[in-house]
Amino acid sequence: MPEISEIAAPFPGVFYRRANPDSAPLAEPGQVIAVGRVIALIEVMKMFHEVQSAVAGKITEFCAEDGDAVAMGQIIAKIERQS
Amino acid sequence: MDTYTEFVDGAQASFGGDEFIFVEVATDMDLEATLRVIALTDSVAAAEISGVTDICPAHVSYMLRVDPGIRDPRDLLPILAKIHKQKAKDSKLKIESRIIEMPILYQDPWSHEVLMRFRDRHQDPTLTDLDYCSRINGFSSAPEFIHAHSSRLHIATFVGFMPGNAECYQLVPSEMQLQAPKYVRPRTDTPDRALGFGGAFSTIYPVQGAGGFQLLGRCAAPVYETKKPFGPFEHSTVLPKGGDIFQYRSIEMAEYEDIRSRVKAGTYQYRIGTLEFDLSQFREDPTGYPLTLAEALP
Amino acid sequence: MITVIQPGLYTTVQDQGRFGFYGVGFPPSGSMDLYSSAVANILVGNPAHAAVLETTFVGPTLEFERNGRIAVTGATADITIDGVSIQPWTSIEIKKGQVLAFGGISAGVRNYLAISGGIGVQPVMGSRSTYVASNLGGVEGRALLPGDRLEVLADSESHTNRNRFETPEYLRVSPLQHHVIRIVPGLCNYLLDSKSQQLLTAETFTVSTEANRTGYRLTGHQLNFIEREQPFGAGSDPSNVVNLGYPVGSLQAPSGTELICLMRDAVTGGGYATLATVISVDLDILAQMKFPETVSFEAISMEAALQLRAQRGKRLQSLVELIDAVT
Repeated sequence: MPEISEIAAPFPGVFYRRANPDSAPLAEPGQVIAVGRVIALIEVMKMFHEVQSAVAGKITEFCAEDGDAVAMGQIIAKIERQS
Repeated sequence: MDTYTEFVDGAQASFGGDEFIFVEVATDMDLEATLRVIALTDSVAAAEISGVTDICPAHVSYMLRVDPGIRDPRDLLPILAKIHKQKAKDSKLKIESRIIEMPILYQDPWSHEVLMRFRDRHQDPTLTDLDYCSRINGFSSAPEFIHAHSSRLHIATFVGFMPGNAECYQLVPSEMQLQAPKYVRPRTDTPDRALGFGGAFSTIYPVQGAGGFQLLGRCAAPVYETKKPFGPFEHSTVLPKGGDIFQYRSIEMAEYEDIRSRVKAGTYQYRIGTLEFDLSQFREDPTGYPLTLAEALP
Repeated sequence: MITVIQPGLYTTVQDQGRFGFYGVGFPPSGSMDLYSSAVANILVGNPAHAAVLETTFVGPTLEFERNGRIAVTGATADITIDGVSIQPWTSIEIKKGQVLAFGGISAGVRNYLAISGGIGVQPVMGSRSTYVASNLGGVEGRALLPGDRLEVLADSESHTNRNRFETPEYLRVSPLQHHVIRIVPGLCNYLLDSKSQQLLTAETFTVSTEANRTGYRLTGHQLNFIEREQPFGAGSDPSNVVNLGYPVGSLQAPSGTELICLMRDAVTGGGYATLATVISVDLDILAQMKFPETVSFEAISMEAALQLRAQRGKRLQSLVELIDAVT
């Protein structure tokens, strides 16, 4: 079984997969990413914060939609770990 | 205890939690009510009531902030009732005030850049704010509107919202009163010192930030200053006070830049005069009386 | 001196607030949860007006250049000194060269870090509190940045005998996911229709993601205003009034679609009808709430609001007496 890492929202806010409405998503399901890769943004207190992956691996799923309000600790993406 | 207490002059008082008292003198914008609010809050200040930490006049209402550790806010109701009763008999509608000249670059490039970014939040995305204000007030061109706005005085009837913000009502006959709605949705950005106009009020934005007033221009001189305490900022970080009268003088870019450099050097001198504003004289001659007030500028 | 290694999400210097300038547009600012902030100061032997650090969701990492005493209160968080967990709500010694780090929080929003002596930024208009919107107070009028260096004022001797004093459970705050928030009705409450007046205290509202030191937006129910001819100068929406003063803690409902509760960095006035005011004691509780937690409002009398305020003072006094008794 591959090991799945979950990425949780570090604080509540509005979840975005794009840096701005017209640009491509920061990351796509199926993509292989390195540690520290920015996969999404969370807007809180009128500031945008980058959500980085703490692990290397393949993104299997985003668990929130662009523009969703997410709670602190809510899972926003899953990564299949690769070492 | 009832939620509302009515004073003999019809003003209505209630509590804003355990620290505030709110007194609504009138509900419609009305200069007489504004001057009554100034007179009432001046009386509260003169009474030096212990425990009252903040006195906050607005257009037609006022608030007091009380430290309940020093005084039970409920004790203030009879004190205020007495002050309202005294002032109800007082028909003198004069205040000691200042007149301050604000140099304005109407149609400035910085406000223009910002307002163009937010056309989708405006009533009429095809026009600039100034052209829109000109049209809805029946002027055929922006210069005519600028003349109407800058050639007549404005009085600060509400100081607040943010430090340095003062909403000013123009001293003109009622048929000449300019009006404009606020943006459909507020902008998330406004240049500092931008001259805004909304409802029947003008204001100079103290700092960069969100805002919903129509943007007409930019003032060369600040209304809020924390870093360089020159001139009027030696004693206060904010310029405007309630009852201040402003003359927005239309200037060109060369003078704007000259004033900016003097502001940055701390050598700019505001033109400020003192005067007495008498509402009854204004009512008798709303066209001529304000012209005599302008003579108080040095 | 303290060096800021990581500033956290939004960490500011705050004290009990800036008073006397509300009438010209300056909010009081100060700690959002005044009770937790006061407890932190008591635990390290600081005077009540000493400045502390207020964190938001993610706290800072700080290196201490001087021996001293610290206490962390407020939200439930993982806090370490040189990687070793420390107890919150406890008076703890910290040594020169040690690094204090905040990990994730599991309840609440804001932590308060008091340091013996207090943060020594320059007071502005009588307070060290940061008011970011007008670039005032604190460190250059802004939230902390990496590399900032914070001066700590000389501490009194009173802290030395507080070693490891733990605040008893009943004097701590425990942030929950639902709270009853008490309000005093008044202001322009008469502009709500009678059904909406009842709805305000009968229904539950959700803290939205737009919740900061200026205001908390609360969603859930449409409120309706009485039909009237709008006053001259008020604006056309039934929720509009001629601009008036907003008390700290006041609730307004722009167009009736959502509630806004003004917090300690409140705008001091504006053009929306104010409906009621959250009592000062419960503003502390609301300050520790976040999306998607919920509140319901309970209307109370001024008498009751003042009693609850006095009780908060007594709780703080009893903590002082407990510490004095064991030292």
